[in-house]
Amino acid sequence: MSRPRKDPRAERQARAVPGQRPRYDLARRPETPGGRPRHDPRVEIARARVPGGARLRLDRTQHAGSSPSVAIGAMSATPPASTTLLAAPTPRVVAEPAFLVFAVADAPDGRLTGHDRQVLGGARLLADADGGAVVLLAPPLVDDAGAAGADRLLALPSLGYAPETLAAALLAEIAARAPRHILFPESPDGGDLARRVAVSLGEPLFADVEQLSARTAIRPTGGRRREQAGAPPRLMTLGEGRVAPHLGDPHEARTIDPCEPTETTPGILRAEAVPADPATVSLADARFVVSAGNGITDFTSFKHLAAALGATPGASRVVCDAGLMPRAAQVGASGTVLDADCYFALGIAGAPQHLQGIAGCEHVVAVNTDLHAAMVERAELSIIADAQAVMPALLRLLAEGGA
Amino acid sequence: MKITVLLSPGLHPLSGKPVLPRLEAQAIALGKSLGGVLSGLAAASCPDGVADALGHGLAQLDLIATTEGEDPMPLLAAALAEDGPKLVLAGRRSQGGEESGLVPYALAKALGLGVVADAVAIEPGTEPGTLSILQALPKGARRRVVARLPMVVTVHPAAPPALPYAYGAARRGTLRARRVQAAPGAPDAAPGLFEERAYRKRPKLMRGAGTGGSAAERLRAATEAGGAGGRVLTDLSPEQAARTILDHLAGLGILR
Ligand SMILES: Cc1cc2nc3c(=O)[nH]c(=O)nc-3n(C[C@H](O)[C@H](O)[C@H](O)COP(=O)(O)OP(=O)(O)OC[C@H]3O[C@@H](n4cnc5c(N)ncnc54)[C@H](O)[C@@H]3O)c2cc1C
Repeated sequence: MSRPRKDPRAERQARAVPGQRPRYDLARRPETPGGRPRHDPRVEIARARVPGGARLRLDRTQHAGSSPSVAIGAMSATPPASTTLLAAPTPRVVAEPAFLVFAVADAPDGRLTGHDRQVLGGARLLADADGGAVVLLAPPLVDDAGAAGADRLLALPSLGYAPETLAAALLAEIAARAPRHILFPESPDGGDLARRVAVSLGEPLFADVEQLSARTAIRPTGGRRREQAGAPPRLMTLGEGRVAPHLGDPHEARTIDPCEPTETTPGILRAEAVPADPATVSLADARFVVSAGNGITDFTSFKHLAAALGATPGASRVVCDAGLMPRAAQVGASGTVLDADCYFALGIAGAPQHLQGIAGCEHVVAVNTDLHAAMVERAELSIIADAQAVMPALLRLLAEGGA
Repeated sequence: MKITVLLSPGLHPLSGKPVLPRLEAQAIALGKSLGGVLSGLAAASCPDGVADALGHGLAQLDLIATTEGEDPMPLLAAALAEDGPKLVLAGRRSQGGEESGLVPYALAKALGLGVVADAVAIEPGTEPGTLSILQALPKGARRRVVARLPMVVTVHPAAPPALPYAYGAARRGTLRARRVQAAPGAPDAAPGLFEERAYRKRPKLMRGAGTGGSAAERLRAATEAGGAGGRVLTDLSPEQAARTILDHLAGLGILR
């Protein structure tokens, strides 16, 4: 908001004529310059002048009144250390943190999930307000923890699924480093770990936080009829999609050594992952969907293809209306909205109603005969070919690979 | 095997009337499928809602009377210590109350039991004294966990559905008022630390939406297809096309 607000009352009052009755001299010009401000070219030039350098250089991009230091700092020869507009960002270093904020990540297979990044974003909010540092506690990572906003990196033991050992390791770190806040994702494993840690510490857990800032944290209670709000407590779990991930400069992510955890006798003896069966998993839960549209006529080989790819079969509405695929397979606004990582569209035009259903899919691959189909525009890889011919070729290659 | 199902007085998400939380009704069905002696335990100020458990197939329910707003944790822990069940089944969270999901963990801590969360199926393990529990993970994946008894297991919504409510079963089941001696629970750590108020709905962040720029820019970033589209390949033979697609999918880590 750069335009000053008008205050009609004050303007009227400035024109009041002293006396018994309220009288106003509307013709009088107020002494303070109201209306349009006068230009003062000299002052403006002085303000736009870029310091340093022999030649006169003016930077007219700035709005009057705003501090020009950030943009000018980027242009001058010796930028100050803390400038945020450097071309190649050097990692930000918090050498002497006032306090620590722990961010505990699930990081299955060493990759930070979107939810983990949000937890790091939340931890940054809490740390940056007061000069604290974020410590990321995760199993050994392949991802760049610094870009996600971690100042320190502490590797937790990775022994498959062993929440009891993990909780013991976390408790040792908490005892040794006394963090001000500990933030978990409210995911199945993260929420489980948070509750184990909370009861071991004997501290309350502020679960499923919906709004987080440095001053307040809010969580729903009573079936989302009531909410609790207050200063962020020590132990929190953060709901998914509530805090933006860290997008600013990368941080240092210096590795620090873990402490020796206390011995535990785990009650969980062993665990083994059972991958989802793509044939039976519901479309909304599937991670990879292959979908048939009006361009497909051979549905037996389509079903074989879905099974061979390990994908869940889907379809467009035209196909479901024709009874060629069950209604439960319909993808789109009036069908199922997908949460899949990858979507493979065979002979689908990409009507808006259909595209709504795949808005959340990160990777889309399309096979279509029409170069100008909307699906081709949406896809990251499009093959302009007859899907009927590509399907048997895919089946053949998959069979060769499997043999 | 002695199994106790923990029941809690829940509130219906829409009407706000007392009901039995759905997960706890599912826990009864899961317990029955295991066989053994199944009984219910609840700490509530009135039996409304909780008593419906009898209609969902529970033969016996012990009800510990509490006063409004009393912490049920010490009472439940004392009753469980008396009974000594091998397996305690519970929902993930209360429904309509505090909803922090801490009670199963706190009970397990108080009684020295293990915890396994989010069960969808339970069967006896191959070794004696163990259970094999199928745990629900996101995106339809599962995890089979073998754990030592005694333990607390919480139930996931994807578990088999609850047995339908039967009036006859509800009449036949016994509801016992139970008295336990327990030290009063620790007082609320810091009462009044949090402000209680009516819920305000907050939208979730949109996946893939940027956070910078104006509202119009964020909307465009969230709804527009990724810029100018991706790689478009024409005039490929079916074999080449299939090879390209499979290579691409393998590069994304989708194909296994
Ligand atoms: C209120 C409303 C709700 C709707 N909800 C949904 C919904 O939820 N889901 C949904 O899918 N639709 C929905 N629709 C319908 C939607 O508008 C489209 O009609 C539908 O998605 C089109 O399906 P399609 O792409 O399979 O068929 P078409 O539009 O017929 O497209 C077929 C495509 O296949 C290509 N093709 C043809 N032959 C071949 C070949 N041999 N090899 C390769 N490609 C080939 C063509 O070039 C074309 O691009 C809705 C419509 C309305 C009005």
